[in-house]
Amino acid sequence: MPELTYREAVRDALAHALRKDDSVFLMGEDIAEMGGSMAVTQGLLEEFGPKRIRNTPISEMAIVGSGIGAAIQGMRPVVEIMYEDFLTLSMEQLVNQAAKHRTMSGGQVKVPLTIRTQGGAGWSPGAQHAQQLEAWFVHVPGLKVVFPSTPEDVRGLLWSSIYDDNPVVFFEHRTLYPLKGEVPTELEPIPLGKARIHREGEDVTVVATGRLVHEALQAAEAAESEGISVEVVDPRTLLPLDEETIIGSVCKTTRCVTAHEAVVRGGFGAELAAIIQQGAFDWLDAPIERVGARFGPLPFAPAMEQWVVPQAADVLEAIRRTVARS
Amino acid sequence: MASEVKLPRLGQGMESGTIVRWLKTEGETVAKGEPLYEIDTDKVTQEVEAEATGVLLKIVVADGEVDVGTTVGVIGAQDEDVSELLAASRGGNGSAPAAAPVPDARALEAEEPSNRLLQGKPSDAETAAPRSSLTPPVAAESRVKASPLARRMARESGVDLAGLTGTGPEGRIVAEDVEDAATRGAARVALESPAAPPAGEVEIVELTSTRRTIARRLTEAWQAPVFQLSVTADASELVATRERLVELVREGETRPTVNDLLTRVVASALARHRPVNAHFVDGKIVRFPGASVGIAVAAPSGLVVPVIRDADRKTVQQIAGARADLVSRARGGKLKLTDLEGGTFTISNLGMYGMEQFVAVLNPPQVAILAVGSIQDRPTARDGELVVAPAMTMTLSCDHRAIDGSEGAEFLRTVKAFVETPALAL
Repeated sequence: MPELTYREAVRDALAHALRKDDSVFLMGEDIAEMGGSMAVTQGLLEEFGPKRIRNTPISEMAIVGSGIGAAIQGMRPVVEIMYEDFLTLSMEQLVNQAAKHRTMSGGQVKVPLTIRTQGGAGWSPGAQHAQQLEAWFVHVPGLKVVFPSTPEDVRGLLWSSIYDDNPVVFFEHRTLYPLKGEVPTELEPIPLGKARIHREGEDVTVVATGRLVHEALQAAEAAESEGISVEVVDPRTLLPLDEETIIGSVCKTTRCVTAHEAVVRGGFGAELAAIIQQGAFDWLDAPIERVGARFGPLPFAPAMEQWVVPQAADVLEAIRRTVARS
Repeated sequence: MASEVKLPRLGQGMESGTIVRWLKTEGETVAKGEPLYEIDTDKVTQEVEAEATGVLLKIVVADGEVDVGTTVGVIGAQDEDVSELLAASRGGNGSAPAAAPVPDARALEAEEPSNRLLQGKPSDAETAAPRSSLTPPVAAESRVKASPLARRMARESGVDLAGLTGTGPEGRIVAEDVEDAATRGAARVALESPAAPPAGEVEIVELTSTRRTIARRLTEAWQAPVFQLSVTADASELVATRERLVELVREGETRPTVNDLLTRVVASALARHRPVNAHFVDGKIVRFPGASVGIAVAAPSGLVVPVIRDADRKTVQQIAGARADLVSRARGGKLKLTDLEGGTFTISNLGMYGMEQFVAVLNPPQVAILAVGSIQDRPTARDGELVVAPAMTMTLSCDHRAIDGSEGAEFLRTVKAFVETPALAL
């Protein structure tokens, strides 16, 4: 199987869709000649031309709004919001328009729009360029929310997002772009709403998203040497959520840790914990532990940033707490 | 006027007691001060004396565990009607007086449909196992801490959570605890069923509450970071001093043992090394000015550690008297809870079994314990010559949270000096 970086995998999925289907086009700030601020769309202008790889003015509201219009007209636009922090500027279009048209029109209108964006700390981007805001969108009926953590997943899930008839907010993690991984030779779509069990274990389930999947795998490795067997599950799609796989795993291990880079309070882990206690109540042998960032604007100073966002050691600590004896 | 017999608090920290048996039957006359019934606290079995004179009109709780303050019986005049008194005590007694084995008390329950215990939704602890009429419904009041999984497993396997000790955080009962209990139960069932293999080889011993306490406290002690220090002392002087003391014993006095002498010199050493004469409790170290020394005694019901109070201010003869009294009562199961309280340090001696040396487990909250081996003639070098002399090895276990190695070593050095020259301890 070929090996791609996470960045190349995103680009590959976009190129496949652009080649296959004239209704697919890209819009975003500096995505054409510059190839995007994260170099994801490099080379696409050369292959597909300026009509399909379109630079936009610096207006997130206009980017998403015109994407919605094009989608309603039958196109499958993929728009890029340079940093997920800037999604705030497009909230009206996302929450009140894109999410609502399909139901408000009684199914007459569809919005097959994909909003790609990226975020995440670990490289000192400061408080306004590194947030993890996925939980905000999980709260909105009418949207789908995807957050892949590996090259294979990001490729297969981006494909499925483009071909989903609903608006999909597609989160990529900044520090995962250089991550290498094997991908199937032929692009294989991964259905939205299917979790992936990265590692099987017996004692604790860690449900992790984004970068924390990799931190959780490291923590699991360390826990193994302490005699704790850890299962790591990545939901991959936060909305719709594969509750069956997650609850099944927790029923098996009887303990659970949720882990994401976003702040703990009101984070996606809170939703997971609620769903798990409901579905696995009689199987839980310890309180569900949540791992996430400390509750404060992200500091610029690298040492402080490290301290605020969760690392493998934090996941390991939480794992230990769930199996603690008094 | 009839008076209720309430379960007394016999010592600090006693919250409940298990009535083992009544020494009087209903209808029998009782004099104030007469032994009325026996209770098993988590430390000792003890007789409880009647506090009133009259007729034992009713035994409300024949046996089983009840909270302190619960009405367990009624003493009054012959033929006195006590149903109102009992009803009142039920209403006023928040912790609920016990389901009673006697038919009359069951009738009382029926007469009182408003009893919130009967109306309330049964807790898992209750539904976990069908409640026998002998089991007091105390568990329904005191919420059992258990994980949801442990609760489900208990429900399915018929294990009563109320009887389990949780090993999870803050004493929470977790799945493993129920599994252990279920396995024990299964072993018992297997033994009882006729198809079981010959039962001769397997003995299932139910824990007495003393044994349970030993198990719990020593498991707790095992959590502490403990280090050990050992020293071997020349016991010639100790043995000789003891022989001289025995010569001085008068008619009717107890003959002091080497151990009594050791208790005295250790107490003197404790008075000089207060870091060792301490408790570690609630994250604090409490150091005591006087040394009250616990002596480990193998009683029929298990290990007990009665305390010789203020041993540093007693003569060896006084210590011998106190020790003889405590040991004989320990062997007869007659120790009182107060006999076991207030120890600041413990000595455990297995010398009489020929053990040369061993390591003792801490007796919490005490921070140190001295394990004493047998006195044996051993070859030793003295002034460059090989001589044979009686020697004794002592091992001090120290809770490192409270004591550092140097503090333990200084104490043990003093003990060695006192053993080798007992007069120094004066």
